[in-house]
Amino acid sequence: MNTLHIEQEPAHLEIERLTVAYGRRRVLDDISFRVEYGERVVLVGPNGAGKSTLFKALVGLVKPQSGTIRIHGLPPGAHTDCVAYVPQREDVDWRFPVTVADVVMMGRFGRLGWLRRPTRTDHAAVERGMELMGVAHLAHRPIGELSGGQQQRVFLARALAQEPHILLLDEPFTGVDAATQEATLSVLDTLSDQKVTIILSTHDLSLAAVRFERVLLINRRLIGDGSPAQVLSRGLLTEAFGGQVLTLPDGSVLVDQCACHQSEPESIAVK
Amino acid sequence: MNTLWSWIVAPLAYGFMQRGMLAAVLVGILCAIVGCYVVLRSMAFLGDALAHAVLPGVAIAYLMGANLLMGALVAAVVVALLISLFSRKGTIKEDTAIGIVFAAALALGVALISSVRTYAVDLTHIMFGNVLGVSPTDLWLIAGIGAAVLLTILAFYRQFLVIAFDPVLAATQRLPVERLRILLLLLIALTIVVSLQTVGVGLVAAMLVTPGTTAYLLTRRLPTMMMVAALIGAVASISGLYLSYYVNIASGAAVVLVATALFTIVFLFAPERGVVWRRE
Repeated sequence: MNTLHIEQEPAHLEIERLTVAYGRRRVLDDISFRVEYGERVVLVGPNGAGKSTLFKALVGLVKPQSGTIRIHGLPPGAHTDCVAYVPQREDVDWRFPVTVADVVMMGRFGRLGWLRRPTRTDHAAVERGMELMGVAHLAHRPIGELSGGQQQRVFLARALAQEPHILLLDEPFTGVDAATQEATLSVLDTLSDQKVTIILSTHDLSLAAVRFERVLLINRRLIGDGSPAQVLSRGLLTEAFGGQVLTLPDGSVLVDQCACHQSEPESIAVK
Repeated sequence: MNTLWSWIVAPLAYGFMQRGMLAAVLVGILCAIVGCYVVLRSMAFLGDALAHAVLPGVAIAYLMGANLLMGALVAAVVVALLISLFSRKGTIKEDTAIGIVFAAALALGVALISSVRTYAVDLTHIMFGNVLGVSPTDLWLIAGIGAAVLLTILAFYRQFLVIAFDPVLAATQRLPVERLRILLLLLIALTIVVSLQTVGVGLVAAMLVTPGTTAYLLTRRLPTMMMVAALIGAVASISGLYLSYYVNIASGAAVVLVATALFTIVFLFAPERGVVWRRE
């Protein structure tokens, strides 16, 4: 009559008074926010604002000095597979002799534990991840031979193969072609429909304004949290970016990050 | 035909040659496979340092009349643990820690050995190997330890792969990164110890690094890289010993020279990656 479903509810995230320091330097200072399950949040702020550090704290790579992080109401580390993290691309040895399929399979290792061999389910998840990111035809190529955009897709495919409840993406669009950026965004749309929680950091403020419903603006402290219209205002941007903000005669605001990224100045109009 | 056959078989008429050949092949394969991790994680300096650091263990075993291999084994494990202890938590960089521990152990080893009368001869054997002096007991020790090391690598293949390729992923998957690093260090230490008899302290680093690097240039996946490296290690060991027998040169040196020759050929002519092809 009744079938019993023991299903974990989709993950929500609570960060309370989080402070992280490297030595005596505070990188994150008293940050609190809550992300409901299935929400899609973009994290923006100047270089050195602590965006990467926040991600690292969320996956347990750095220890907070104080404050708490709760995922599903549990501290990070209690879950080995429900949080997928795609770090910035520099962290990996690209000359390593592994193929695309090998790398994507690593996303399943957390579930496999120490000794179990990959099953048909695992191979299917790997296949699906590669299909979604459009890298299935590269499955047997060594990762060192791929372009930057393709490498980024492979790492997203790995995160998808992990079948996470929470997906953390640190600057996934830096040094990536437009096609990869579009492919990534459309996969994120699909994931949002499946109630996967997504937090993504970027320095592209116009992208943040157009493609996300909620923006977290940080510079060590949490400066703004709300809709793009609320957060990407002249006042808050000036507070976060300081001298990099330029107000144009027509009242729009220009944030110049070109000294740090060697890319076009990111501009955003705010009336 | 007959002359070639006798040329091949002649050296094997002696029991010590048979044992030497077997030991050299086992060590060649073991070093090559473990060496793949040494190559991929850029630990060549560590391998060399560990090799030199076993000297005091050998010296103490010699002075006590104990088995030299056992002495080396204990020393290698102690040194591997000391290095990981000093470099832990990033207080001192790993290569600095290696430099300190390795020089200190080498100094202690030389000091101990120099107190013995037949210093020069024994030191030469330890430094450059004496494959013809492999006893049946040594052979069993080499085979036993070698099998244990290879089985461990097979069992933890996935974990070693992740910590070598993507330490961040390893950490987010809650792998005990630090313990696995120490385990790998111990496996390298054990490999070095069983290699002492064939190539010696001075040349074991080459056996760890050269076949692995050669295989790296020829392959695209870690499992094939390990197999090709093992093949190169075995071929270098066998041909090195024949070279040593017929040309009458030190066996360890001959093995390393053959391995280096193979590397040079591959470095020049490897498909796609060789220098010759990249010229266009």
